[in-house]
Amino acid sequence: MQTYDYDLLVIGAGQGGLPAAHMGANLGARVALIESAKVGGT
Amino acid sequence: MLRSAEVMHLVARRAAEFGVEVDGRTRFRMKAAVARKDDIVRGIHRSIHSALEGRSERIDFLRGEARFLNDHEVDTGDQRLSFENAIVATGARRAVPPIPGLDSIDTLDNRSALLLDEVPESLVVIGGGYVGIEFAQMYARFGSRVTLLGRNEQLAPSEDTELADLLADYLREDGIDVRTGASVTAVRADGTSKVVSAQIADESHDFQAKAVLLAAGRVGNTDRLELASAGVTTGKKGFIEVDEQLRTSQPHIWAIGDVKGGWMFTHVATYDGPIAALNAVKHHGKSTDYRIVPRTVFSDPTLASVGLTEAEARDQGIDVTVGSVPVNGARAKAIGERRGKLKAVVDSTNGEILGFHILAPHGDDLVHEAVAAMQSGGTIDRISKSIHVHPTLSEMVKAAARAAK
Ligand SMILES: Cc1cc2nc3c(=O)[nH]c(=O)nc-3n(C[C@H](O)[C@H](O)[C@H](O)COP(=O)(O)OP(=O)(O)OC[C@H]3O[C@@H](n4cnc5c(N)ncnc54)[C@H](O)[C@@H]3O)c2cc1C
Repeated sequence: MQTYDYDLLVIGAGQGGLPAAHMGANLGARVALIESAKVGGT
Repeated sequence: MLRSAEVMHLVARRAAEFGVEVDGRTRFRMKAAVARKDDIVRGIHRSIHSALEGRSERIDFLRGEARFLNDHEVDTGDQRLSFENAIVATGARRAVPPIPGLDSIDTLDNRSALLLDEVPESLVVIGGGYVGIEFAQMYARFGSRVTLLGRNEQLAPSEDTELADLLADYLREDGIDVRTGASVTAVRADGTSKVVSAQIADESHDFQAKAVLLAAGRVGNTDRLELASAGVTTGKKGFIEVDEQLRTSQPHIWAIGDVKGGWMFTHVATYDGPIAALNAVKHHGKSTDYRIVPRTVFSDPTLASVGLTEAEARDQGIDVTVGSVPVNGARAKAIGERRGKLKAVVDSTNGEILGFHILAPHGDDLVHEAVAAMQSGGTIDRISKSIHVHPTLSEMVKAAARAAK
């Protein structure tokens, strides 16, 4: 079976990405959250 | 910043009504208002960071701009990462329509408009949607002479026509030059000013101002993601199309929030996030349901709504009853806010609430009674038969519900 660095990659730590990453972590996934500017989004 | 505008409006224009005498000139200090806003935003950033630090054993927070290399790898600028599932949450940015001359002048956007040290003496706002309306009223209250140009005949075109038109009247009362059905044809610099030309009812008009704010729609932040390498297709305006489980054309890649188009609100993005994570990680197959998404224009009075407008319900062939009441009652009188109207849209056959539309002070809070009542197909009785505190603005919600019987 192929292995990956992360179970879940979330691109953008804005209003949607943040809760998605937290939920992913709550569900036991190994999560990467990547942000190019400031957290929190627009 | 909207709160600063409200305080300025009350002090500069209305204090005397309430028996408050202000001696001397009232001045708005942009820098101080911006500093206050920045302080609030800094606090929000701090709490986001500390929440992420608390999860560092499970969440790696990385800096960089992600770009897909293939369907299981991204480049972040300084590293290559592989993933089993991905959620694209890159948001949207303002659209720059192909208006001749637009690249020859500096325009403000929602960010740069809040970085100014001084209030521009005059401002043309291009765009009659939520952002355009909010900025037009805010700057007018800060002291700018504001022109608001909306492309459609109606401001906030997806909202109830009667309420949107009433709001346009109120903005005019506040001194804003509101022009609808205005299609901008060109912009140019003229010394230290800018000139925006627009076609309105077959006539060309020029609007001159010190600053121009562009708020003419949004496009998805997808152009630098190289989604095609991952097999994800995008549709109109760079938005990613998803199914009801938020899945893109690539089954293990999901898209949430503004980048998928549709209703672009924080509360939609925060609703989407956990659903996509559940579906991606646990294959939950959970669907989104956007029938009861409240929406708000943070104008004064506030335009807030949920569900179908009367016109939308009639277009669907539904037999509707509309209950409508003006802003009135003891509380509205006491706080001196008498502008607006509330409308309940109800299915005549069974009393189901189809929509609620509120143009009223604190409409953004009032609308939630309808939101809660609409869950699981609630009927108008839930509101009309409930006891409401007197004297509150919520009594007006009940009055609109009773009028829809
Ligand atoms: C002026 C204005 C006022 C608004 N007012 C309201 C309001 O009052 N109420 C409301 O509900 N909504 C409001 N909205 C809308 C709200 O801001 C958005 O709906 C919400 O932010 C969407 O969340 P999101 O996660 O989809 O995108 P965002 O919150 O914008 O987050 C996207 C993030 O992705 C990052 N990103 C983009 N590309 C990449 C990449 N390649 N790699 C890494 N990171 C990337 C961005 O830097 C950003 O941080 C307003 C919007 C504007 C413009």
